[in-house]
Amino acid sequence: MVPYLLRRVAFLVVTLFLASVALFLLLRLLPGDPANALLSVGATPQQIAAARHEIGSDQPLPQQFVTWLGQVATLNLGHSFVSTLPVGPQIASRLVVTVPLTLLAFALAVVIAVPVGFVAAYRSRRWYGALLGGLSQLGIAVPVFWVGVLLITVFALKLRLAPAGGFPQDDWASPGAALNDLILPVVTVALVMSASLIRYVRSATLDVLDSDYLRTARALGSSFVSAMWRHGIRNASVPVISILGIELATTFLGAVVVESVFALPGLGSMLVQGIAEHDYPVIQGVLLVSTFAVLVIGFLADLAQRIIDPRLRAPHLAASR
Amino acid sequence: MSASVSVPVRAPARRRRSVTLTVGCVLAGLIVALAIVSLFWLPYPPSDVSGGRLAGPGGGHLLGTDKLGRDLFTQLMIGSRIALAVGSGAVALGGILGVAAGLAAGFATRWLDDAIAAALDILIAFPVLLVAMLLVAARGASLASAIVAIGLGSSAVVARLTRVLVKRILSQDFVTAARTSGTSWPRIVLEHVLPNVWPTLVVNLALQLGVAVLAEASLSYLGLGAPPPNESWGRMLQEAQATVLTAPLGAIAPGVLLILLVIGVNLIADGLRDVADPTRRRSR
Amino acid sequence: MNKKAVALFGAAIATVLALAACGTNPNGGSSAGSTDTNSTINVGSLYEPQNLDDTAGGGQGVTEALNGNVYESLFKLNDDGSVSNLLATGYQVSSDGLTYTINLRKDVKFHSGKALTSADVKYSIDKVLAPDSQSARKSSFTAVKDIATPDDNTVVVTLASRSISFVYNLSYVWIFNDEAKNLTTTEDGTGPYQVGTWKRGSTLSLKRFAGYWGTSATNAQVVFHYFTDATALNNALLTNAVDVVTSEQSPDALSQFTNNKNYKVNNGHSTTKLLLAFNDRVAPFNNTLVRKAVTSAIDDKKLLQSIWGNYGSLIGSMVPPTDPWYEDLTKVNPYDVNLAKQELAQAGYPNGFTFTLDTPNYDPHPAAATFIKAELAKVGITVNINIITADQWYTKVYQNHDFVATMQEHVNDRDVVWYGDPSFYWGYNNPQVTQWVKQAEQSATAADQTALLKKVNEQIAKDAASDWLYLYPQIVVASTNLTGYPLNGLNSQFYVYDIKKS
Repeated sequence: MVPYLLRRVAFLVVTLFLASVALFLLLRLLPGDPANALLSVGATPQQIAAARHEIGSDQPLPQQFVTWLGQVATLNLGHSFVSTLPVGPQIASRLVVTVPLTLLAFALAVVIAVPVGFVAAYRSRRWYGALLGGLSQLGIAVPVFWVGVLLITVFALKLRLAPAGGFPQDDWASPGAALNDLILPVVTVALVMSASLIRYVRSATLDVLDSDYLRTARALGSSFVSAMWRHGIRNASVPVISILGIELATTFLGAVVVESVFALPGLGSMLVQGIAEHDYPVIQGVLLVSTFAVLVIGFLADLAQRIIDPRLRAPHLAASR
Repeated sequence: MSASVSVPVRAPARRRRSVTLTVGCVLAGLIVALAIVSLFWLPYPPSDVSGGRLAGPGGGHLLGTDKLGRDLFTQLMIGSRIALAVGSGAVALGGILGVAAGLAAGFATRWLDDAIAAALDILIAFPVLLVAMLLVAARGASLASAIVAIGLGSSAVVARLTRVLVKRILSQDFVTAARTSGTSWPRIVLEHVLPNVWPTLVVNLALQLGVAVLAEASLSYLGLGAPPPNESWGRMLQEAQATVLTAPLGAIAPGVLLILLVIGVNLIADGLRDVADPTRRRSR
Repeated sequence: MNKKAVALFGAAIATVLALAACGTNPNGGSSAGSTDTNSTINVGSLYEPQNLDDTAGGGQGVTEALNGNVYESLFKLNDDGSVSNLLATGYQVSSDGLTYTINLRKDVKFHSGKALTSADVKYSIDKVLAPDSQSARKSSFTAVKDIATPDDNTVVVTLASRSISFVYNLSYVWIFNDEAKNLTTTEDGTGPYQVGTWKRGSTLSLKRFAGYWGTSATNAQVVFHYFTDATALNNALLTNAVDVVTSEQSPDALSQFTNNKNYKVNNGHSTTKLLLAFNDRVAPFNNTLVRKAVTSAIDDKKLLQSIWGNYGSLIGSMVPPTDPWYEDLTKVNPYDVNLAKQELAQAGYPNGFTFTLDTPNYDPHPAAATFIKAELAKVGITVNINIITADQWYTKVYQNHDFVATMQEHVNDRDVVWYGDPSFYWGYNNPQVTQWVKQAEQSATAADQTALLKKVNEQIAKDAASDWLYLYPQIVVASTNLTGYPLNGLNSQFYVYDIKKS
């Protein structure tokens, strides 16, 4: 386990480094000068020169790259071109919205998906099992913003049960108000996300129900519940956890659209605004943080998977991943 | 992360399998038919603004009109074209790039393989929507930007799947036998690898088509998709959002068509998987 | 999606004389019963400041939130268009009209505690004129030759040529503390509010300033909530997340407020015009007949109806009814498809032509462009719509003049004078008009100025210099327990200090 851990950490560090390189190249290779971001508000040639100097786009590319790596290493993400506010603290204040939204939605999706997926598999030949399977099919086909709009229309505008959007100005100073504002966004994300999770849980459960070890255990006199508990859940959870890792990452980044629908000041809406204003330090900072988050989530999911599934600890299998 | 290989969901019974495929073909076929018909005939010219503002259904307009007085059904038909064009264009691009990269990684030396795997992990960390937004920021919103962006995004997923599948095939005894008997690499690819990889890939590409169609709608919803006067379903939804209480049909109809198409494509994928993968056929 | 208006900065030719009364109560709502002076007012808006300094490109939003609320000028532009003393107690003009002696209030303190002096005023005017200034008003002050500060309470400005709108223009110059730092992210003004917290992308809060020299604000705190989309903004009002919307941009939601006793819909005067601006330098739009034909081929009334339902009004020229030199010119180039066809044939385009329309990507431009495409197809003209972002518009159209035709909303009042500048982006070049505009600015009386600008107005309409599609409505929607909010939002100002909540 320890050599694997070391190798996996080394791999994580390398991917983080490569991701920063990729991001740097991607943004620098875009046509146009990042300093052009200032043109939208009426810059003179002197100002453009000053802007180029300030953001360093008048420097040679290798030097810009060294500067960028230094920034990444010290977590100093520069200042927004538009508002001149530092990017790092702004991202931190956005994470206060996006992280709870992601985690709550994720938790709710798991709470919905595990029992529903299990029932859909265990009772797949009954009408309700089939119905649940069909509903999950519908769920993965629905665009998330559409669900958001429908929920707003029904629960916020018609029934007045929840706010239509926004977030308290003082963030989590009054947790009740903040949670209240997150209800509909969380439900929106969780509904859509649980649909694909249900399908994975259902599939994993079907595989376990089919498996020889479960039949053997039952033939040896274990009750269904205890056989499932001792063998089934552990086995079914392996593929599901790896999917959970991917889904968690997707939710985190998929928040872009949901935050737009609900006017939430999260990381996603910061990115949309940054793109609209061609505010390169903001785009760069948000993408860096979100890419790092996704890679770290993947790392944690891999670790969790290995801890649960001893088979993966076998050296030859580890090497082939 | 080998989980993307164990493709989920399968039909519980043999009979339902063909039903899955049939229903999927009917749903997706409906949208394809709509798109094909729209090439030859439309109820109204695309930019005809002769209708009233937000007129209800009936009175010459099957589903009513939008804010500018354009026939909603006409716009929906044109929207089907854009959904299918972006979806299939992106999947074609993603398929070609992904399979090529996956094959390369599968055959490559350990070192190169690790490098490609790391690159794919990073690419997947940039989700489709973000890549698309970056591209749009750089090149402006256009149909081509949307296709390229979504295609690039899905190529990473396809590449990762191909790589794992290729590795699995290459470790099989019959490939080892072929290699020891001196068969050339291209022949091994053509005769052993592709035929065995293909069925799973087709299923995955079908799933990717659904993802691509949804991604295009999201991009258009954010105002980053195909620009007007192309009527994308995503943008129709965005525009109709303001009138969801007064003219709900405009906000519902594009969503329904979008869902029908994606469900149809996903059902086809499920149906194909059952046909393609005989091990799934055993009934429980 | 992005509702950021590209404000085109009218070198406002104006007069210190009050405009004719607009016929509406300057303050919204009726008098309320009990009011709470410690209330928090939640204001919903689509226009977020880009930063807090209006000479550093803060945009339309910074004017809306901070002008008059946090920063004050020597003179105040009232909601009815008149100008009155604010930080100045009065001024004298020399007989040649070239020297302005302005007296300052003595009891004014900045939020940092420093007392206001003439040095701050000089610093602030210089800040607008500085080479790196992005102030919308920079070009209005080209006549300024010298600023002197004989004592702490007197400022003497010398002009190179007469400028009848000088005092009006000063109403746009914020007075900063000359020692303040980091003005893009913090403030030091003299207004009734201090900036509380600014959460970029979400909210900006203003807190009542205890040391204010004038009448204290009638509420303790104002929070501006920023939205990127009109629907989300309306939803916030419907669910009481905000008390008032500064400028309604979606007519479809209004039915929910008009028939609801909890809300009041106020229809004020706007100065925002939607233009189909031709590049008058290049073919085919260098031909007046072609411009007239296009103008006559588009049914502006139906366009307005499509975008705004029953709100807004038609204009036949650049001048809105609130400007003193307004005339109804909607009949000059009437909607008449046959006339358009005749004019096209006469101009040598009997079968029409094809042109590209550069269209900003935010509402209402894409929808309006789609409508225009359909209308012009009827007279054989093919329109290719090219969607561009706000900064692309600025570079391509505004700076490089690399376009054939474009659409843009122009928000300022008194901006007809741009037709006197042949180097302006639309390239309208009529020496007579240029002359009239110059004379108008140097006129001795407001009557002379008005007469000259009327001539300008008539001439540009005759020449169809641009196609002025319509004048936006200015709709402020507020909950009925709110009073004292501005109705006209002139130049996107929004004074909040008189707002009361009961």
